[in-house]
Amino acid sequence: MTGFLLRADDVLRRAPWTTRSDRPWSATRDLVLCVCIFGVTYGAAMGTYGGLSGDRLWQILYSASKVPLLLLATFLLSLPSFAVINTLFGLRRDLGEAIRAVIAAQAGVATVLASLAPFTLLFYVSSVSYAAAILVNGLMFAVASLAGQRLLRGYYQPLIARHKMHRVMLRSWIVVYAFVGIQMGWMLRPFIGSPNTPVQFFREESWGNAYVVVVQLIWQVLAP
Amino acid sequence: MLRWFKELDRILRGDATHLSALDRGSVEVPAFGLTVVVIILGVTYGACMGTFALLRPGGPEFMQLFASAVKTPALFLVTLIITFPSLYVFNALVGSKLLPLAVLRLLIASLGVNLAVLASLGPIVAFFSVTTTSYPFIVLLNVLIFAVAGILGLNFLLQTLHRLTVAQLPPIERSQPPPRPALAPASEARIEIAPVTSESSDTAAELIAAPPTKEGAPEPSAAASSVQHSQPAPSSTVTAAPPQTGALERLQLKSGNAQVRSIFRCWIFVFGAVGAQVGWLMRPFIGNPNQPFEWFRPRESNFFEAVLRTFWSLFY
Repeated sequence: MTGFLLRADDVLRRAPWTTRSDRPWSATRDLVLCVCIFGVTYGAAMGTYGGLSGDRLWQILYSASKVPLLLLATFLLSLPSFAVINTLFGLRRDLGEAIRAVIAAQAGVATVLASLAPFTLLFYVSSVSYAAAILVNGLMFAVASLAGQRLLRGYYQPLIARHKMHRVMLRSWIVVYAFVGIQMGWMLRPFIGSPNTPVQFFREESWGNAYVVVVQLIWQVLAP
Repeated sequence: MLRWFKELDRILRGDATHLSALDRGSVEVPAFGLTVVVIILGVTYGACMGTFALLRPGGPEFMQLFASAVKTPALFLVTLIITFPSLYVFNALVGSKLLPLAVLRLLIASLGVNLAVLASLGPIVAFFSVTTTSYPFIVLLNVLIFAVAGILGLNFLLQTLHRLTVAQLPPIERSQPPPRPALAPASEARIEIAPVTSESSDTAAELIAAPPTKEGAPEPSAAASSVQHSQPAPSSTVTAAPPQTGALERLQLKSGNAQVRSIFRCWIFVFGAVGAQVGWLMRPFIGNPNQPFEWFRPRESNFFEAVLRTFWSLFY
């Protein structure tokens, strides 16, 4: 346990083993483990909104599984194009390090989220409304993803020093990851679970597109 | 089969289009094997695109999935067949030394790049297709992805054509192999090949021909600056680690023949436009959920107008 926490600490401090390891597979495994464990931690905290009794325990379980799922599924969907485009721009030699850098950034996101879980719980026990709960969680995710981006930039510094094309790759990764991640988050709703609706893994009506919804909302506001 | 995928990987890494690999005036890749790879990748992307039809309100439409998987590789091969003769003919007209097989290999290699990018974005398309019910959104997403893949593929084509032209210069003039920083011998080569037809290349040749003492010459033209850059290069490249030269990296060497370059650029525009129009004729790729399945739709309007119309329909 202590060993694991020390490794998580290494991720935040960008220790050499995380991306520049001699044993890339075990480093990757540790990073993914970090995403899963801390993701589950925050997810479980997020799912406690509806209470701890009866059915609601399922919501905690669902929410706990959804956070790592959100991060890792988004990562896996964005990975093939990342690999091909990096290769095409002549960065194949650094691809392993680049991939570990983006996994490490996600481990960072999960760690930051887990560290913010007590705040979320505090808000919950202060009995805020469901809408406020959504906002608080949105804020936590926003903070965590900003921190993750900062971490990713740090991990990318040595790569960019080696080849300036890495900067373009970093930006395009962030764009693609966010594009897929937003839809993934929309699809995986509910994360918190409204206390007035039965517990379920997927929402029936959530089968839609986050971007279309946003565009239509904006249009409804602008057009009479 | 795996061997052919490895060939594609060589192309993506830029190994196959390294100047030293282009000595024989052609991208040395198996045309047939790569075509098979292109078809497989096309089928993969087509299947990803076709998943949208599986979740339509009236029940899954498997024929659309099948049709998309067949049509995507067909789109690229038909575009290739339409544009190959004209590229070869104009290429020969402006005095390039590429032989027909070399042009064909080059085109297939760039289709390989195009489809590798396309197929690698396939999972994202499949994910959005499965979770989205908005037809216009999916159409625009696919157009965007085709555009990204097309731009990268055509960029590869342009850079490789450029490299091929450079590689065809006699070896004495080119002397040292590729590294990124412009080498002095390259500018010598430019003197030989620079046509005296246009004014600009004339002055470029003069500037290059001038001895390095003219470095501080008043005209800050692009040619002059490239000469200046080339001065320290020979010493620095000896010590530097071998640079990573990607398949898309722009060579600093100028092949001189401006006419050839402009033909290439025009042609790339034509290739893109033909591809878009062939795609339009082969509709539907995705399948409007409100219309029954059909292999082809009646001919009407054109690609660009339709994209605009789809964009507006997002809002209503």
